[in-house]
Amino acid sequence: MDYKHLADQLDINEEEFSELVALFVTITRADLKKIRQGVSNDNSSQAAAAAHSIKGAAANLGFTQMAALAKKMEALANAGSLDNFDAYILEIETRLEALAVT
Amino acid sequence: MQKIQPYTVLAVDDNLLNLTMIEKSLSREGYQVFIAGNGSEGRAIAREKQPDLILLDIEMPGENGFDVIEKLKQDAATNQIPVIFLTGVSDVNAKLKGFDLGAVDYITKPFHPLEVLARVRIHLKLSIATNSLIQDQAAKLLQVAEAQNAMLPAPKNFPDARFGVYYKALEEAGGDFYDILNISDYITGYFVADFSGHDIRTSYLTASVKALLTQNCTPLYSPRESMKIVNAVLQKILPPEKYLTACYLHLNRSTMVMTLVNAGHPPAACLPVHGDAFLVKSRGDVLGMFSDAHFGVLRMKVTRGDRFLVYSDGLVESVDKKINWVAGARKLLPVFQNLREFSCADAPGQLIRHLSGAHRIPEDDIVVICIEV
Repeated sequence: MDYKHLADQLDINEEEFSELVALFVTITRADLKKIRQGVSNDNSSQAAAAAHSIKGAAANLGFTQMAALAKKMEALANAGSLDNFDAYILEIETRLEALAVT
Repeated sequence: MQKIQPYTVLAVDDNLLNLTMIEKSLSREGYQVFIAGNGSEGRAIAREKQPDLILLDIEMPGENGFDVIEKLKQDAATNQIPVIFLTGVSDVNAKLKGFDLGAVDYITKPFHPLEVLARVRIHLKLSIATNSLIQDQAAKLLQVAEAQNAMLPAPKNFPDARFGVYYKALEEAGGDFYDILNISDYITGYFVADFSGHDIRTSYLTASVKALLTQNCTPLYSPRESMKIVNAVLQKILPPEKYLTACYLHLNRSTMVMTLVNAGHPPAACLPVHGDAFLVKSRGDVLGMFSDAHFGVLRMKVTRGDRFLVYSDGLVESVDKKINWVAGARKLLPVFQNLREFSCADAPGQLIRHLSGAHRIPEDDIVVICIEV
């Protein structure tokens, strides 16, 4: 992940960007937990709200793939479907952990 | 060195990352940023901190952005604060609804910190310019109102004229106007007029009419001649569609003759020392509209102690009740009659108090003059 490029995009320095990424990881972990809860309780609106949050935050930092995935999850959840959510959650989680160790 | 007070921005978003980005990008440019994670917290901070601008996320759990802006605009403490809302890129309806509720702009998400900064800057500039414009205009209007009041003669400055007055302008620059003219030691002119329309231009014209009256209400001219000349000049200088209705009461305390010239104005009332109050009617064209205007003139002998009431249509006209001037004035005759209990100076105020006591809300400017022979 090219942090310098992403930081430049936002007109901030790398250090500031790292702080934002750390915050993003924390928030998104919490949101993923909410999505999991939504899936196990069959509460699609809870899952949709949490996916919406991930979508916005990821898009703002330039993490376009994660944002696209969250957008898809939000749309599905809004339509009442939580199918394949375990796989989506895993994919976001994997990307998130990659960010956390960068 | 004194520190300049920073501009303050309140950001309301349930997403902590968004809040942090906004906070970072604005604070490093010298803004003080307050953050709120939900709508009700945002409204509380808005009330307490009075930020210069609010950035408001639309999609929030609980009280959403629409609810928040609606409440902000209903609250007198916060309704002046410009709100920019944050919304998804494709959501046209959300944007329109935001504007409809009073937002000044929107920023689409995902947002770029520099765009947030640019929009915050432009709307703060706009807000500052608008506020200073409003203050500027208010100050100017106040000057106009002061100037207009200065043009209205106070009874204490005209002891020989023996009159009392009530004057109330519905707006800062009223359309009603009156003047007292010392024509000679024994002759006084009382002029009450109502300009069509109530705007600054009317107030400005007041000065012209005042000058015209001073020039033309002299012992050289009869009251009708005075009004004829005033009409001829006004007809040249008034903007199209602008005219005034007027009542000119000319009182000679030597010959004890009262002459009334009516120019499309409500009838005056006479409160004789003995007997019942009656209306003093004469028909006439308005001033400033027709070069060949006709003015009804009425002359009558008066007795010491007789009183006359001259007033503008605000007193006797009711748009709601569709009362015309003569009918309105006639209905007021018993009220006029009772005014004899009060001094000439107090009568106009008492009349208004009596009328507003019946929950009558003024629909127009009002001027009432009570004259004692």
